[in-house]
Amino acid sequence: MPILTIDNQQIEVLKGTNVLEAAKGLGIVIPHFCYHEALGAVGACRLCAMNFVEGPVKGIQMACMIEAKDEMVITTTDQASQEMRARVIEWLMMYHPHDCPVCDEGGECQLQDMTIAGGHDIRRYGGKKRTYSNQDLGPFICHEMNRCIQCYRCVRTYQDYCGGTDFGVLGTNQRVYFGRFRDGRLESPFSGNIVDACPTGVFTDRTFRYRTRYWDIEEAPSVCPHCSLGCAVIPGGRFRELQRVRGGVNKQTNGFFICDRARFGGGYGNHPERPRVPRVDGAQTTWPEALRALRKRITDLVARHGPGAVAFLGSPRASLEANYLLDSWAASLGSRRIAFDSHWQHDRSARVAAGKLGPRAASLEDIRCSDFILMIGVDPLNEAPMLALAVRQAVRRGVRLAVIDPRPVTLPCAAAHLPLAPEALPDVLEALAGGDIRRLGRREAVLLEGILEQLRAAERPVLIGGPDLLGAAGIERLLDTARLLASEHRPCKVMTVLAGPNSFGCGVLARQGPDFEAILNGMLAGEIKALVCLESDPMTGSSDPARTGMALGKLELLAALDYLPTAAAHHAHLFLPTTAVPESAGVYVNNEGRMLLFSSAMDPGTPISVSGGGDHPPRTFLPATPGSEPRPAWATLGHLQGRRLSLRDIRQAIEMEHPNFAGLSSLTTGGEGKRIADISPPPETAPEIPFPHSEGEGTLRLYAMEDFAGSGELAGYASALAPLRPTPFVMLGALDAKQRSLSDGQQVRLRSELGGVGVALRVVPDLPAGIALVPRLRGTALESYVPGRGHYDCQILSEDEEKT
Amino acid sequence: MAEGIDVYKRRYGQNPKSLWRDLKGTVEPFYVTLRNMFKKPVTYQYPEEKRTPYPRYRARIVLTRDPEGGERCVACYLCSAACPVDCISMQSSEDENGRRYAAWFRINFSRCIYCGLCAEACPTLAIQMTPFYEFSGRDPLKMVYEKEDLLIADGGKDNEYNFYKHAGIGVANPRGGNEDEYGPVDVRSNLP
Amino acid sequence: MSDFAIDILLILVKLGLIFAVLLTGAAYLVLAERRVLGRIQRRYGPNRVGPFGMMQPLADAVKLLTKEDFIPAQADKPIFFVAPGLAAVTALLAFAVVPFSPPITLFGREVPMVVCDLNIGVLYFLGLSSLAVYGIALGGWASNSKYALLGGIRGLAQLISYELAMGLSLVPVVLMAGSFSLTDIVLAQNPVPFALLNPVAFLVFLISTAAESKRIPFDIPEAENELVAGFHTEYSGMRFGLFFVGEYINMMILGSMITVFFLGGWIGPVLPPIVWFFAKVMAVAFVFIWMRGTLPRLRYDQLMHFGWKFLIPVSLINVIVTGALLLWLKG
Ligand code: SF4
Ligand code: SF4
Ligand code: SF4
Ligand code: SF4
Ligand code: FES
Repeated sequence: MPILTIDNQQIEVLKGTNVLEAAKGLGIVIPHFCYHEALGAVGACRLCAMNFVEGPVKGIQMACMIEAKDEMVITTTDQASQEMRARVIEWLMMYHPHDCPVCDEGGECQLQDMTIAGGHDIRRYGGKKRTYSNQDLGPFICHEMNRCIQCYRCVRTYQDYCGGTDFGVLGTNQRVYFGRFRDGRLESPFSGNIVDACPTGVFTDRTFRYRTRYWDIEEAPSVCPHCSLGCAVIPGGRFRELQRVRGGVNKQTNGFFICDRARFGGGYGNHPERPRVPRVDGAQTTWPEALRALRKRITDLVARHGPGAVAFLGSPRASLEANYLLDSWAASLGSRRIAFDSHWQHDRSARVAAGKLGPRAASLEDIRCSDFILMIGVDPLNEAPMLALAVRQAVRRGVRLAVIDPRPVTLPCAAAHLPLAPEALPDVLEALAGGDIRRLGRREAVLLEGILEQLRAAERPVLIGGPDLLGAAGIERLLDTARLLASEHRPCKVMTVLAGPNSFGCGVLARQGPDFEAILNGMLAGEIKALVCLESDPMTGSSDPARTGMALGKLELLAALDYLPTAAAHHAHLFLPTTAVPESAGVYVNNEGRMLLFSSAMDPGTPISVSGGGDHPPRTFLPATPGSEPRPAWATLGHLQGRRLSLRDIRQAIEMEHPNFAGLSSLTTGGEGKRIADISPPPETAPEIPFPHSEGEGTLRLYAMEDFAGSGELAGYASALAPLRPTPFVMLGALDAKQRSLSDGQQVRLRSELGGVGVALRVVPDLPAGIALVPRLRGTALESYVPGRGHYDCQILSEDEEKT
Repeated sequence: MAEGIDVYKRRYGQNPKSLWRDLKGTVEPFYVTLRNMFKKPVTYQYPEEKRTPYPRYRARIVLTRDPEGGERCVACYLCSAACPVDCISMQSSEDENGRRYAAWFRINFSRCIYCGLCAEACPTLAIQMTPFYEFSGRDPLKMVYEKEDLLIADGGKDNEYNFYKHAGIGVANPRGGNEDEYGPVDVRSNLP
Repeated sequence: MSDFAIDILLILVKLGLIFAVLLTGAAYLVLAERRVLGRIQRRYGPNRVGPFGMMQPLADAVKLLTKEDFIPAQADKPIFFVAPGLAAVTALLAFAVVPFSPPITLFGREVPMVVCDLNIGVLYFLGLSSLAVYGIALGGWASNSKYALLGGIRGLAQLISYELAMGLSLVPVVLMAGSFSLTDIVLAQNPVPFALLNPVAFLVFLISTAAESKRIPFDIPEAENELVAGFHTEYSGMRFGLFFVGEYINMMILGSMITVFFLGGWIGPVLPPIVWFFAKVMAVAFVFIWMRGTLPRLRYDQLMHFGWKFLIPVSLINVIVTGALLLWLKG
């Protein structure tokens, strides 16, 4: 490890570190633009000049481009390098439009900071300035090219890191331009990252356009609730409104970047219909009233029908603390009827992962560092977007990637795709685990053989699976495969994508408990009279909406704690508002079992833009903030049990009761989080999932799949994501389409047990025969197609056929 | 030490502890104060006698307009950031021409200490102090001024400046149309 | 009516008169001080309430009476309540022995113009002025506040120190008058007041009374810039008012004492004696105010040095010299 001297201080750094980073380690921060930890150095901005006095290179050099070596002696404070930096920043500022007051970057702009830090304070250039025309980059990103300083960070982020292809650098000479070939929305699902990456105000968040300055926004490190990966995000609110989300740094999970679903999908807490006031039997009331009513009704029911009459439903989007308190409330009442996910497969998969993943769990960082990746039954871009980006980083290093999935899995990188029908996936898993490979078709067998070979040869292979197509049984099989493939010197890690940000935590809490199917049966049989839903809506995970609806209708008491205007919240006899994620603190356990702390960035309340109707805020003084009724779910649940608990108390109680959460109470926000300890008694094995085959001519097996912006429960309420939601469509293989003489883009009629809907047809060449796919799109007729439920029998007819 | 005494001696004569000096120093002020007692006080008897403050006096704040009559304020939040008592609040917004402006702008004059830091911070000369100092009230809410109350018809102390004619983002003039700008470059050209 | 009853009645009338005059006097002294200070600083001072601001004392009184009576949480309540009264009452009591005019004849009776002509009036006065320190010390102690406590302690030290110089500077007076009775002392100053006969004693007494009444430049117990308001920091409303009024009554008493001991009391040509007396008291009060407008506050150590190392030796020497002179004169 080289030891070098910078400004008379010695520091030892890892081999391969550049001098700029080494100086940072000593607390010497030299102005720089183009170097970024995740993007590397290119020496484009010429700002990071240092004077190399001794060592292999001498003279004024760009520190980011030079690897730290032994014997180097470097000064940063001497006149020559200081003057160099001052000149460079002056050149960079020459054509700057001087419009900081109307630039959204102002206040958090690296160009502002570096200009001052670099020592340029008076403008000397009096000539004319170069200007550019801007482009319309769609609803998320604003473009103001005149502010550009040509550091190339945006291209390196968009093209190199995120794999976008519709944006780049054009032009020659003094006309270097960063944009698209023509106007239009940036297509990459990670496009928002150029906002964070660009050190100036060229790219700014359009949803945040002209809303708040950096110094006014209330921010706190948080965790993204939109999928199970637990990326670090920093939500920011002002005037009681979530205004933007930017990427946080967690090197084990997302690294530096986040996906657009996280960045632009934070608005669910601002939803105009968000219920903010407690309600009893449809009438708004006060907190004490509502709490008293709930407690009384539950006590009554328990007295009349015994504790089993009350059932509970936790949620993978509620914090670990809230879920735990729900569990302990159920226990204190004596009811064992508690489930944590209304979706049967998701629930079971989470329990399998929580029980069996253990040290084999791969983090996103493990994936970035892996040397062979096999994805089976997982569609990263739609189910866990940042996983796609992690996979891309591995592929950029030359790593092979194999995808086995019926869906047209789109990825920002090259992959070998083997489209197999869902029914074939168990066989594939079987074959991977050393079973009979001949049960598959010949072509498939050959390909699989190749994959297996590479898998065996790799040193750090990673298997990735998702619950929607594999199901709990499949995930278990995947884990077994990994165990077989691993040896003492060669780990074989697994990543299982789960349903929600806290699915893993719920899986640990659920243990051997009943699943929601059992509770539904109880409700239908009339044994269960009350259901308490914590930030969950039984309908969204339900595989049979009619049955679930009937069961809910039989209840004497439906109580809901939530911050979303869900159907359950709407119909609940008793409703208690809770705080949305950016307004609350808690812990999520992500899909690899990493406990991640999120803290509250803002207080709940009706946004001033709403209470003031867009004009100036009301000129009245009230004792309480309007709309500030929502309380953290954990606080309400503690209250309901007559316990005054702080988050710290709850975390300590969780540690005591579940030793695998050890270290929970010493976690800090903004850190890398901590893997939970290996759970000791593995839970019972989930029952095998049946993969029913289709029968009869003309029927197709229809599978629902996730959509990037349209499927998530939270994303569905985030209005800013609307432009990313597709219009309803159904996907059909080329052969099937030809048989039905349907063509791409045609309006068709989709008929299934859930009724008929008109959708557009997309013909996908390599979709396996006999399979159709629809995305689950909230707020459309496709809302009730639940991914991971198994198949629906369906018919696809052209509109004319339908009429006859 | 010795040096200190030297300075002392230079200033107060050879004997620094002269009793005469002390006595004089004690008695002389009595004469000074006695003399003052017979001079006319300098006080203005305020409500009856009013003084005209200098134009740069810092009292009631206004929002001015640019020479074309547009609102100068671009809602950049710099004044509210500079304000030591946090009495300015606003919401920025964008109009259909891409011009940034304040959707609402509020100064709570019952908090304002008339320090002038807001006017100092303003990059567009929008917010300005005026010498109008007879400005008080008993109801704090009546001292909360909204944008409509603050806006005046002209440019206040400066009737020339128009921020958007200098900021190169093409709002007042088309892009590249300001005095100190070349027109937009042709990105697709490959001439040197 | 028996003589005794008439005596009692007369005493009561005199008490009432003195009470009324002193309190109004003190109130207007405040106004006078503020106006004079104003003029010294080339301002007007309070001139808005009533003609020439004459109603200002009334307005102040109303304000003080209607203000919240704040009692600190940890205060020693009984003492806290008593202290301001103590300060005002001791000041008032001293006036009992002050003769402000020769006896007058009313309805054939000789009425002495003093509440009580004690033959040890000087000692009574000295005793009371020592008692005055209790108001300060107890007020400072009972407030349970650092500032007040420090102020109280400073007050104690200062009063005790200057008491000595004050007492010693009165010895020559007693020697010269040959009596402890204030009436005798006044009469002994006809025609030459002791201020001229013994200017050293006069100056020492003037300075120590200023220190006794805690007036600038000796207002160390309430030095605003270090102790906020010293011993009465925690007092508000009329309790503070009592301290405040006590101070000004004290100023009047000390003015009277200076008049009696050194300026020849009521003795003067042409004008009636009582007018002379008041004129002299007011002159002394003016000097006090003038001093306040002129001199800066001493530092604590300077104050102590000045008292112990200068005033006391000077007055001791003065006692010896005067005594020797008197012995020599009497021969
Ligand atoms: S647009 Fe931003 S990130 Fe891209 S080169 Fe210009 S300044 Fe750098
Ligand atoms: S990948 Fe998932 S957790 Fe990460 S930012 Fe995107 S939606 Fe959020
Ligand atoms: S004058 Fe000072 S206190 Fe008043 S608004 Fe301006 S910055 Fe704030
Ligand atoms: S500083 Fe000037 S331009 Fe900016 S918000 Fe305040 S008044 Fe408007
Ligand atoms: S950071 Fe080194 S040249 Fe840009």
